[in-house]
Amino acid sequence: MATKNTSERFDTVDWDEIAANAPDGNGTSTRAYLAALGLLAVLFVYDLVVASGEATFAAVGVSYDVPLFHWVLAFSLLSFAFLGLLPLVRNRGHASANFAGIVVATGAMLAVIIYDGIYLANAVPTFSAIGWNYDVTGLDYLFGFSLLVFAFYAALPLYQNPRMTSYYWSEFRKNRPAMVSLVFLAFIFGVGIVGPLFINYPEAEFFRKYQPPVFATVSMNFVLECVGQQANGVCHGTWDYPLGTTNQGRDILTMIIYGMQISAKIAFVTTLIAIGVGTAVGTISAYAGGLVDEVLMRYVDIMQSFPTLILYLLILYIFGADLTLFILLLGFFSWSGTARYVRSNALAKSQEEYIKAVQLSGASLYRIIRRHIIPNTASSIVTDLTLLIPAFLLAEAQLAFLGLGDSEIASWGVLISVGRNDLSFAPWITLAPGIVLFFTILAFAFIGDAALDALDPEAQAEAES
Amino acid sequence: MTERPLLSVRNLKKHYPITQGILSRQVGAARAVDGISFDIAEGETLGLVGESGCGKSTAATSIIRLEEPTSGEVIFNGRDSAAVSADATNDVTKFDDAQLKAFRRDAQMIFQDPSSSLDPRMTVGSSVAELLEVHGMSDKQRRRDIVQNLLEDVGLSASDYDRYPHEFSGGQKQRIALARALVLNPDLIVADEPVSALDVSIRAEILSLINDLQEKYGLSMLFISHDMSVVQDVCDRVAVMYLGEIVEIGDTEEIFTNPQHPYTEALLSAVPRPDPRRKRQDIELKGIVPSPTNPPSGCRFHTRCHRVIQPDEWDLEQSEWRSLLNFRDGVVEESLDVETTREMLRTGPADEDVDVADARLRAELREEYDLPETLSDQQAERTLSESLDHLVEGEYGEAQELLAEAFVTPCEQEEPAYADHGGGHRSKCLLTNDQASLQSAPSLKND
Ligand code: SF4
Repeated sequence: MATKNTSERFDTVDWDEIAANAPDGNGTSTRAYLAALGLLAVLFVYDLVVASGEATFAAVGVSYDVPLFHWVLAFSLLSFAFLGLLPLVRNRGHASANFAGIVVATGAMLAVIIYDGIYLANAVPTFSAIGWNYDVTGLDYLFGFSLLVFAFYAALPLYQNPRMTSYYWSEFRKNRPAMVSLVFLAFIFGVGIVGPLFINYPEAEFFRKYQPPVFATVSMNFVLECVGQQANGVCHGTWDYPLGTTNQGRDILTMIIYGMQISAKIAFVTTLIAIGVGTAVGTISAYAGGLVDEVLMRYVDIMQSFPTLILYLLILYIFGADLTLFILLLGFFSWSGTARYVRSNALAKSQEEYIKAVQLSGASLYRIIRRHIIPNTASSIVTDLTLLIPAFLLAEAQLAFLGLGDSEIASWGVLISVGRNDLSFAPWITLAPGIVLFFTILAFAFIGDAALDALDPEAQAEAES
Repeated sequence: MTERPLLSVRNLKKHYPITQGILSRQVGAARAVDGISFDIAEGETLGLVGESGCGKSTAATSIIRLEEPTSGEVIFNGRDSAAVSADATNDVTKFDDAQLKAFRRDAQMIFQDPSSSLDPRMTVGSSVAELLEVHGMSDKQRRRDIVQNLLEDVGLSASDYDRYPHEFSGGQKQRIALARALVLNPDLIVADEPVSALDVSIRAEILSLINDLQEKYGLSMLFISHDMSVVQDVCDRVAVMYLGEIVEIGDTEEIFTNPQHPYTEALLSAVPRPDPRRKRQDIELKGIVPSPTNPPSGCRFHTRCHRVIQPDEWDLEQSEWRSLLNFRDGVVEESLDVETTREMLRTGPADEDVDVADARLRAELREEYDLPETLSDQQAERTLSESLDHLVEGEYGEAQELLAEAFVTPCEQEEPAYADHGGGHRSKCLLTNDQASLQSAPSLKND
């Protein structure tokens, strides 16, 4: 513990001096941000509606047609400047580590995006300059950003509050299946995030199709060239392909690792969008009340009954199957539950005396929501997540199984559907990813259960007293 | 020094609109606080007492502007308040945002329930230090030092800074809440039932801590409670609230020894007295508890007052008069249900003699309202029997008319004004209107 300076007493504080040095509010910058966003939106609509088909600025004689990438980049830079950089500079010296961290890291990522998209113009793999042959895609950047948010606003706070963390941990540890699940998921997502960076996507080797997993066998009738031992007309599996190969001779283990990354992307990005939008809408609805509340909640009603599948089919028809589109769609159509959750929780919490006490301290509404309402809603958000994420993963697998997925990618769902025609003699193609998917979903269920118990100190304290 | 009170509340009102339908048309209002006025001097503690629902908590939150008051003034004269600079208003209800934020440094509040008054996801230290941060103290170490010192002042240890609310007992949490209220060095603290949620055994501790701190830092306090005995220990003056109004206010000693309002009398009768010589009879308040949406006319206490005034035309025992009025109110407000009572009485076969059944019903109705078999005033008895006959016959309207016309108390016709009993002791009852003492008023006839 820090040494105590006994001369510092509450009744000797000179508040006038402090008030004189206090940084002023950020009302103007919010207004500037909204104005800039508005301008961007107007330009975008103009581009779409009026100047469709010709260069955006043709009317003023500049033959520069703004591509979608530049629109997105402009939006990101604007948001970064006003929501990240500006507050950071204004509060320099006493900004929280979380905020400083995410702003700096996001800044670095934006720099890479600009380098990648404008300097290299997406012509060569992003890191070819340092001899690394990995091309980063737009979805990767989104994924990266959601990982950053997770690191600075979920992982780092746990480290910063060791007391609370160890309390949660001791509660959580009581649940053994949840512990196993946690290890399993950490493995899945860890390997999924890192693996594809270093392992090449498996090539199609037609002659090596239908290799059985190690210790398993398949009749030679189906195999062109058996890598392992052949005996009595059966081909034995080898450690070259521990989980066997597909009908195109791709290594299933590597495919599953790639699938892990896709699952991780779905889980993180969709969650970020759903939680972000859901929390924003939920708190606005709860605090604005009246007509705003009414309109937002009716919209949520509509969205909850909206047939997302049909919308997806429509988009599939227009743009073709694409994982990024799928993730965005899923994210932007699944926040309704979270919004409801957060709203009712925020309403309940705002009646608590501690919220009244904070109001009475003179804190701004933003601070009340950010520092008190959201952290106190976090436990229900986390439990909500453990239901949402498996649903996302299943949705992807189902669509892929129906042949409606992005067949370019190696998601588990795609792999499962690839194997379904060969189920009779090569069941491993479907079973291996199917089992991984099954355990992943099961793991979320266990963790959700344990998290619900661990994250609620109030309920615990009441149960003990 | 000028004798300006720190806080002057003038005719403060807080009405909650009751709306209906999709367009939120206002159809009425719950008059939770309906025109209260009082002063709190520097260093003084004023107790605000009353039963739950009388509007005392609403008064507190309106004064401190946690809720916007409907009308009235709250004049604040802080010692060197930043909110009240020379040229600006000192009416809290008219403060703008900047003034209001500065006012938060002058006035803080302690809440009733320690288990919900601290954010469960924050260390108690940062809960307290947050106020310093909100008001611009950006030096983290300094905040920590101040709060650690303060935690020691309220009887905890500096190392408690990093602990979470669930690690503390109710009494300790209330100490932390006290630290939070103190940390901005306010002039005024509003304490809303600060000990009523605590175990009886630790109440005294917390109360004496509050007293000590108040003395040490010259705090003024508005102390809200439903418990007269707590108020007696802590408060310099007491204001008694009933249904949104202050019915009596005065020095604690005065109020306790010489109450000038029947409601105060009733509240005091429930306080356990250590002194057996001054036995006070337990006064039980009967009658309809009115709602703030529709307060009774005249004196708001008349529906329950045990001293409710009898007009000269009747000569009844006071308790009979009270029961008679309750009976009248029951019939007029239709809370008395003759048919249900009749059903309840019908135990035997249906072919019972009708006259006998009716007699039983009459007796039961009297019983229900504590009315004796015959009233002490014959004229009144006649009217009562007649109205009972109407009720038994099912002629509800006639009974209503008859009772409403015959039994009327001046208390419901005339709103009493405040009577001054000297030394700032005022009360609002017709019996004391011309500075007469309540004790010298025609005594309760059933004594
Ligand atoms: S005015 Fe009448 S009803 Fe009101 S307190 Fe006095 S005696 Fe009771």
